Order: sequence, then structure tokens, then C-alpha cells
Amino acid sequence: MTSTSGRIGRPRGPALIAVAGAVLGAGLLMSSTAYAQADSYRIYVANEYGANISVIDTNTDTVIAEIPISGRPGDVRPRGMAVSPDGRTIYVSISDFNPQFETPEDKIVAIDVLTNEIVGELRAGGNPERLAINPAGTQIWASLEAIAQGAGYDINTGALIGSFRVGVEAEGVAVSPDGRWVYVTAEATHTTTIIDAVNLVVVKHLLVGNRPRVVVFSTDGAYAYVTAEIGGTVSVIDTETQLVVGTINLGLDSRPVEVVTSPDGSRLYVAGGGTSAVYVIDTATNEVIATIREQMGRRPWGITITPDGSKVYTANGLSDSVSVIDTQCLCVVDNIAVGRGAHSVVLGVVPNE
Amino acid sequence: MDHSSNKAFRAAGLVAGVVLSMAIALPAAAQMIIAEPMRIGVIMPPVDPAAPAWEQSVARGAAQGALIAEDEFVFNAEMLGMQMSLVRATATTAEEAVAAATQLVEQDGVYAIIGGYDNTQAAAIGAWAEEANIPFVNVGGASDSLRNDACHATTFHLEPSAAMYIDAIAGWYVRAGFRRWYVVTDGSEESLAQQAHLTQTLQERHFGIRQVAQQTMAPGGPVPDNLVSEIARNNADFVLILMGAADQLAVMTALDQAGVDMQVTGFPYPETQTRAYFVAMQAAAPTIGTNNRVTTWEATLDAYGAREMNARYRQQFREPMDASAWATYQAVKILYEAAFFGGSLDPAAVVAFMAAPTSVFDVYKGIGTSFRPWDRQLRQTLFLDKISDEPVPDTFNMAILVGELPAIYMAGTDPVERLDQLGTTAAQSTCGR
Repeated sequence: MTSTSGRIGRPRGPALIAVAGAVLGAGLLMSSTAYAQADSYRIYVANEYGANISVIDTNTDTVIAEIPISGRPGDVRPRGMAVSPDGRTIYVSISDFNPQFETPEDKIVAIDVLTNEIVGELRAGGNPERLAINPAGTQIWASLEAIAQGAGYDINTGALIGSFRVGVEAEGVAVSPDGRWVYVTAEATHTTTIIDAVNLVVVKHLLVGNRPRVVVFSTDGAYAYVTAEIGGTVSVIDTETQLVVGTINLGLDSRPVEVVTSPDGSRLYVAGGGTSAVYVIDTATNEVIATIREQMGRRPWGITITPDGSKVYTANGLSDSVSVIDTQCLCVVDNIAVGRGAHSVVLGVVPNE
Repeated sequence: MDHSSNKAFRAAGLVAGVVLSMAIALPAAAQMIIAEPMRIGVIMPPVDPAAPAWEQSVARGAAQGALIAEDEFVFNAEMLGMQMSLVRATATTAEEAVAAATQLVEQDGVYAIIGGYDNTQAAAIGAWAEEANIPFVNVGGASDSLRNDACHATTFHLEPSAAMYIDAIAGWYVRAGFRRWYVVTDGSEESLAQQAHLTQTLQERHFGIRQVAQQTMAPGGPVPDNLVSEIARNNADFVLILMGAADQLAVMTALDQAGVDMQVTGFPYPETQTRAYFVAMQAAAPTIGTNNRVTTWEATLDAYGAREMNARYRQQFREPMDASAWATYQAVKILYEAAFFGGSLDPAAVVAFMAAPTSVFDVYKGIGTSFRPWDRQLRQTLFLDKISDEPVPDTFNMAILVGELPAIYMAGTDPVERLDQLGTTAAQSTCGR
């Protein structure tokens, strides 16, 4: 494994992930939701203060592994994660607690789901916070919080594809289902910047809610949804017109962070950090149809869903736990102890081979 | 009581309501670009090299807060196709502040003013701003009189009120078990008003506490010889000093040198919220001077975007962000967002946006803040610092954060109601009456 030490903006040499590249290549023919029925799934939880990743088996909802990210918990923190299209590789953004300094910890690491081992890393200076991967699995995009940039990297070589100025405190990042657009939010600027990932230019800065955090696309790509932590809202962006066409109000106290779409596209599940709740939104009406509070862990920020849409998992930072929600009853069915400061959560796939 | 001001306050409220209803009726997709340059005026105290270090810190912090705000919001504006700039002035007196404000508006074309780093300038600029119909953000005047009888229609208070500070002190020390309070005042109108609010809040909100005695000391005068014995005779367990920064330091020094070892704190004037003041306290009164202090901002706060704000500031200026820097930065942010989100530089529109209960501002304290409709005071949390009692290599480490007042992570309670635990309530307010 080789890593580059160059700064953003400079050309870089081969960097990333010999092992992960191979794993990734094998998965390129599969869509993100077209996992085989017999595949099994693992939940990955980035523990910001524990500097490690907890791994949960979704069959038993028990922790089966803990992957150390750094021997310096409290100094080094894993936060946002992304999953390769085949589900077999988890990418984790790593940074430190001193945003003013660019340190060796600013990087992205790749974890092989099958072995739960780190199989590669990529230098990403500027406090990478959240990540997104294009549908082809060839690019990884990062929000670089400390330097107000969104940056894309070639996933196989680690080469910088492009870095783009966005608003202050870059946070959320998502790639559209067709791979054409990259959306990057900025907390201090209340904006979402739209980058043309083909022509590599910024095409628009959109004003969204107050302190935007995470952006996701609808399954058909027609809309993007941006949570706003201070505003307590979800902005709905029409991706055709590139305009905000609606605002879903969750309440000032909700402080929403991560949001996930159900596989069939009919619902959004939003993690409400302020109220320790999950808000369920009907995407046809953009109305909140349920609020799950009972037995929820404290301060859920991360949220993900199983491929069949039956279970939602939240990463709860103040209770160091993951809550498991049954999407039929819309109720919490389990709480799982994980590492310190659970920040984000994603789902990986162990193929039935 | 200036009845014309109060009528104007009510009238401005009505206008604000009308303009706001127009603003929020716009569709969410309408991202408004302001064609004219957005200019904001800042009237700051000059840095006086002869002044105590903590006074210099307030002035320097204001200048640095303005600079980092200008860097960031010029960038933000340009990103969205607009022009924005700050126009700076300095003033040492109320008259100079008013002259500077006049010039900023008439010659420089600013649409709003930031200033009031002390009560006198805050009062003068507030009165002028109402006459001139210019939005004004008060960043340093804590006096409750500015928010009650002397309130003005276009003034918004980013600086917490004296009542908020006292409620925060009361809330913390009551919960910490201190029941017998000894109060030292300087006999001034401001000091006595603070004591009056303390009496009221202890009666109405914090049962079980008694003010066992109080003593008056002339500002700048000697510390009374019998202060230590009176504190002991009254069996006090907590001393609150409602005096200026220099007098607080003098009292702390005297008590410390007399061997007093108990919880003592003072009113958090802007100078007392600086790392320079903490350094002076540690040096002069190493035992009791290193107790807790209430602050508006804390450089070691590392949640809610504060970590990033503090880091950007420290990287740029190589020193921790004090409250005056934070306040100046946030005042620029609020005025920029009020113009941008409101879609206009028109004073009525800016005032309307800021005054609207639905307008929420992120001041990096983890909770959406808004201005109270009855006195235009920004709702916000405050912090409790513990001053270091050991030598530190870097002033950043001169204090650690020990409390958030009130705590915001209390699911199940309304955030506005929660923040209104601090300060004058609508029923108590005399603004506009």
C-alpha cells in the first residue's frame, strides 16, 4: 500500500488501494441496491472519539469487530463514510481535532468488508469530513472542511481529479445517481454548491437552510435533500432546474444531520440530533408521517438502511450506541453499544460466494 | 422614559411584521441577489497601548473579529454574485461614536451599524440609530436599561443583557449548592440595577438562596478594611462582585491576600471575559481569582461549529478568540444574513427580518437563536469558564469550559423556552410601555 503526501491541488502519483481496487472492480457490475438475496450485511459505525470503527452483523445485530483507526483517540477522528457500489469496501474520512493544522491524519482509508482490514489510504488534506462515491465506483469525493473545498479523487490511482471552492465549513457531499453532479454543502455559508463532475466546473451555489449538513439524492435522481441543523429543515432541490423547490420543517429543536432514502424511494429517514428522534418523511408529499422517539439513543447523527428497507440504523453520539428501527412498526427494536462518539453509519455487503 | 422611542419601537414592530410577511411569502426557490454593494459599518474602540491588557484585548478582538468576518462574508457574497464590505471607524466616547455612525451612513453608505462596546456608546448609537432609521447591533453594552426604558426601535442586542448574565450566575451557583450570597457593589446606577435584578431573580426563580449582606465600595477606591470580616461574620459561602473590571481585580486581590478561600466571581463585563484578564486574575489572586467566570464565548468550545470557528481565528491571529471578537464576527454575520435572506438593504426590511420570531441565526452555540420580540435581545446560551490556577504555556489554556448555561441538549423542551430561562421576561420588560 502506498500513500501520497501531496497537498490538494497538486498532481499526485499512484496512491490508492491495490486490494480495494480489486475488490471494487469485481463489484462494478452491481448497482448499489442490487445485492444478491443471500448476501449478508454489516453495519459500520465511525466512532469519532474512540478513533475506531464498530462493525455490526445485521443478522444478529451484535458487534462482531472493532477496527482501530488510530492509537490516538481524542486526537484523531473518523467521521463520514461512503461505500463502494458493490458494498464491499468502506471508505472513511479521517482527520484530527485541530482544523487549523494540516496533519498526516487528514486522509481517507479503505476497509475491506470481508476481512474488516484497512486495505488502502489516500491523502486528503484539509480535514476531510464526509465522502461520496460515484456510481461507477471510479471517483471518491470529499468535503474538505477546513479549507472550504470539495475535492474528487481517482479511486484507483488516488490522483486528484479536481478541487473546487465551496462555502465555509464544507460538510455534506453526494454524487448524483447518473454521476454527473456533485453536491457539497457548507455549514457556515448555508449553501449547497453544485459541481459538474464531467466538465469539472462549479455551476451553481444554492442557498439552502441554516447550517446545512448532509445531502442525499432521491433514488431516481430527480431531487436532492439537504438537512439544515440550525434551521431544523430539509431543503428539497429539483436537480433538473437546480432550484430549491420546497422546505420540510422538522422543528427548530430537531437539529437534523444525516438523511437516508428508502430503497423504493418513498421515504426519507432523517436523524434528529437535537431531539434524539428519527423523522420519517413521505417523499410524495414531503410531509413528516412519523417521528420515532421512544427508546432512541441520544443525539443520532448517522443513519442508514438495509437494502430491503426493513431496518434503519442510527449512530447515536451521546449514548455511544446504535439504535435499530423496524420500518414496519416504525419503532426502535434494539440498541447496540458501540464505540465512543458514534458519528456516522453505513452498510457493507459480504457477498455470498 | 422616552415615550417617543417606545412608540417608535411599537410602530417599527408593526412595519416589521408587514415587511416580513412579504418576505416569507416568497417561494423557497427565490434566491435573491442584492445588486447594490452590501456595506456594514463597525465602530470599534481603538487599541490604547497605555490601557490595561484586558482593555486592549477587547479592542484588538473587535478588530480581529471584524477582519475574519470580512474575509469570510466577502467570500460568501462573491460566491453568490454579490458585493459586501465592512467600513471601520473608531470611537472612544459616545459623541465620537455618534459622529462616526453619521459619517458611515451619510458618506460611506452603510446599511447597518455594529458597535456599543460599552454601555455609554451603546446607548448613544442606539438613540441615533432610531432617529436615522438604521439597524444597529449592540455588541458590548449589557445594561438592562438599554433593553427596557431606554430601548430603541432599530437596536438589536447581541451582547447578553445584565439580567441574562446574572441569571446564568444564579442558575449555576444555586445548583452548585451555594446558598448564602454576599454582594459587593460600587453604588452606581448600573451596579445597583444589577443587584436589583439579582434580588428579583433569587426571589422568583432560585428559591433557597439568601443575600446575607451587601457592601458598597467606591469605584476605583480602596477595598473596605472590614470586607473580609463582614463576609465571615455573615457566614457567606459565595461573593458576587457587581463592579467594573479593575475593581473586581482589586477586591479579588484583597480577599486573596487576606487568605480567603471561597467561591467569588464578578459581573462579566467584556474586559473580564478576555484571556488577558484571566492572566491578570491568576497573577493577582491565585486562589480565589481562578474561580469560575461567566462568558459569552469560550475559545476552547469544540462543538456546534465552534471548534472550526475558534480554529480559523486562532490560525489567523495566533491567539484565542475572546468574546469581543466573537460578538463582532457574529454581528457581521447576522446583518449579512438579514439583508441576504430578507432580500433587501432597506432598513425596514433588515429590521423586520431580524425582529421576526421565525428568523433564526446560527451563532455557533449549537442552537438556533432569535431576537426576543419584547426587547430585541438575542436569545443565546452562555458559558462558564474555570480559570487555570497553574502556569500555562499558552493563553489558550488559561481557562477550561466547565458549563453551558442553560444546557441545550434537553430533548422534550422547547428551545426558545429553554433559552428564555436567562434574562428579562416579556412580562417584566418595560420596553415599549
